[in-house]
Order: sequence, then C-alpha cells, then structure tokens
Amino acid sequence: MLIDRYSKTVYNLAFNFCGSSDDANDLTQDIFVKIYKNINKFDENLNISSWIMRISKNHCIDYWRKNKKNNYRVELEDNLVKDEHSPEEELIKTGDIYKLREKMLQLKPDVRALLIMRDIQNHSYQEIADSLEIPLGTVKSKINRARIQLARLYEDR
Amino acid sequence: MNCNKFEELLSAYQDNTLSPDQKKEFTKHMNKCPDCEETVDRVNHLKSILPELNQEVPFFLRNRLYLIGESEEEITPVKNYGYIRWVAAAIGTMVLFLNLFYFTNIFPAANKTLHTAVAGIENFVVETEAFIGRIKESNNFFIFKKTETITKSEKKKRNPKAKKKTIRGFEYG
Repeated sequence: MLIDRYSKTVYNLAFNFCGSSDDANDLTQDIFVKIYKNINKFDENLNISSWIMRISKNHCIDYWRKNKKNNYRVELEDNLVKDEHSPEEELIKTGDIYKLREKMLQLKPDVRALLIMRDIQNHSYQEIADSLEIPLGTVKSKINRARIQLARLYEDR
Repeated sequence: MNCNKFEELLSAYQDNTLSPDQKKEFTKHMNKCPDCEETVDRVNHLKSILPELNQEVPFFLRNRLYLIGESEEEITPVKNYGYIRWVAAAIGTMVLFLNLFYFTNIFPAANKTLHTAVAGIENFVVETEAFIGRIKESNNFFIFKKTETITKSEKKKRNPKAKKKTIRGFEYG
C-alpha cells in the first residue's frame, strides 16, 4: 500500500525540512491528500516513487515560503531511531541532532530538500535528478556545496 | 589545484568517482592545506551523523494517513483562522486594561476619562428611555398607534342598526 511504502519518506522529508514534528504531521497529511487527489493524473509509465518525491518536495517548499520563511523553530523529538547508548551519550546525541536540525534550516529550501534526500534518505543522485527533473550534474554540485556549507555551520558552534 | 577546485571535487572524492589523476591532485592539495583537510573531516563527520535524523512515522499519524487512503471523499484542508485568535486576544487585552484603569487609580487621567465616558453612556441610555416613554404616552406618533383588525361579526355587534343588505328579500353580507 502507498502509505506503508512511502509514509516514512514523506514524513522524514517534511520533518527534516521544517524542523518541527507538528508541522511535519500536517505536511505529511496534506501531501498524502494531494497524492490521492491527483493519483488519476499519474502517468503509469513513470516511477511512482519519483512522482511522490517531487510532490513532497514542492509542497514542503511552498509551505516553507508561505509560513516559515522568517519564523522557524526547531524542536527536540524523542522518536529518533535509537541505538544502544548510555543516558549521557543519548543526551549528547540529542543535543547534536537538535543543533544539526537548527543549522539545516539555514540552508536554502531547494538545497535542503536535496541534501535530505541524499544524505538522510539515502536516495541515489540519479533518483533525485529523475524525480525532480534536474540535471544530474546540478544535483551533485548542489549537494556538494550544501554539505560543505552545513558542515561549516554545524562545527562553528 | 586551488581550494575552490578542491571543494568542487570533494563529493566526487568521497564517492570515489575521481579519475586517478584527479585523486592524486586532490590528495596532494589536502596534505598541504590544513583548511581543506579540516573541511574534509567536517563533511565526513556530517555525513556520518545525518542518517541519524531519520524518524519513524508516529503511530497516530500513520492511522490518520490510512483514513485518508480509505476515504474517497474529497478532503479539504483546514483553513487557517489564526488571525481570529489574535483579534480575540487583542480585544481581551483591551477589555482587561479598561477594567484595570476603571476600577483602579493607577493612571488617574485614564480613570477619570473612563468614568466620564461611562457616565455619558449611562446618561444617554436614560435620556433615550425617557424620550421613548414620552412618545408612547403622546399616542400621536404613527409608529406607536395601535391598529385593530375587526371581524365582520364584531362589526355587526358594534353597529347593530346598520342597514341589512338584501337581494330579492334574502339577506347577505
């Protein structure tokens, strides 16, 4: 089913894009409503995963421009995928993740979406290029620059 | 190789897609430029922690999504009426401050003005009531004139001597 296969992808894109679980919940619902409304228009010769990624990315960027451009906040969350860590390590990890999320919001929206797809969701460059209909070289260079920018923002605490 | 070129090739180096010559140039620059070496370390660290931002979809959200999937009805997103909250909050705050100034003497000038205004309103209400009362009593004002609807039987009772209408000896009317 569509939700079983793609809800995690959509939710993670939304959450990492806007930094807030409340916004991510609303965005994920809106995106799935949009998907179901437009499912009849979907060309079966295309890849559904790419189509969903494109809808999700565009919706997140629209939402950001309308609501969050100048007023964003990051929240701590407790439903991260947990490994076996001591409480101290968990605390440090949570702090790091909070900081990382905060810094990610400083990236430009389109670049942020690309970075999330590549380094968090582990999509290949080619998949991203196909789904967003952007040249492969552009995707690679944008992600490269985004990584360097985010790495500098993150380490300059 | 300069630092800009080095940064351009950074991802390709990490993905191991550089040609042997490019890789050699890249490594050579990295060994002699501490800033670029640091950039590589930072990006490596970043890449190692980014996957940790992956989240599980909350249970309640997944259930809501199933409902969307099952429902074929058109779902309209909830409209944003956020501004109403702000208007209500502004009115509430204003009322609070008016009460504060009316019942306390923190700002004597405001207190005096409010009391004058309230007295004015009270005076206006009393005057208006008195005016309406006077009009009602005078009974000349058309809007307060009572109108009656009289049925035919009542009309006959009031005027029994009225001439009866007949046609060929039979009464009618």
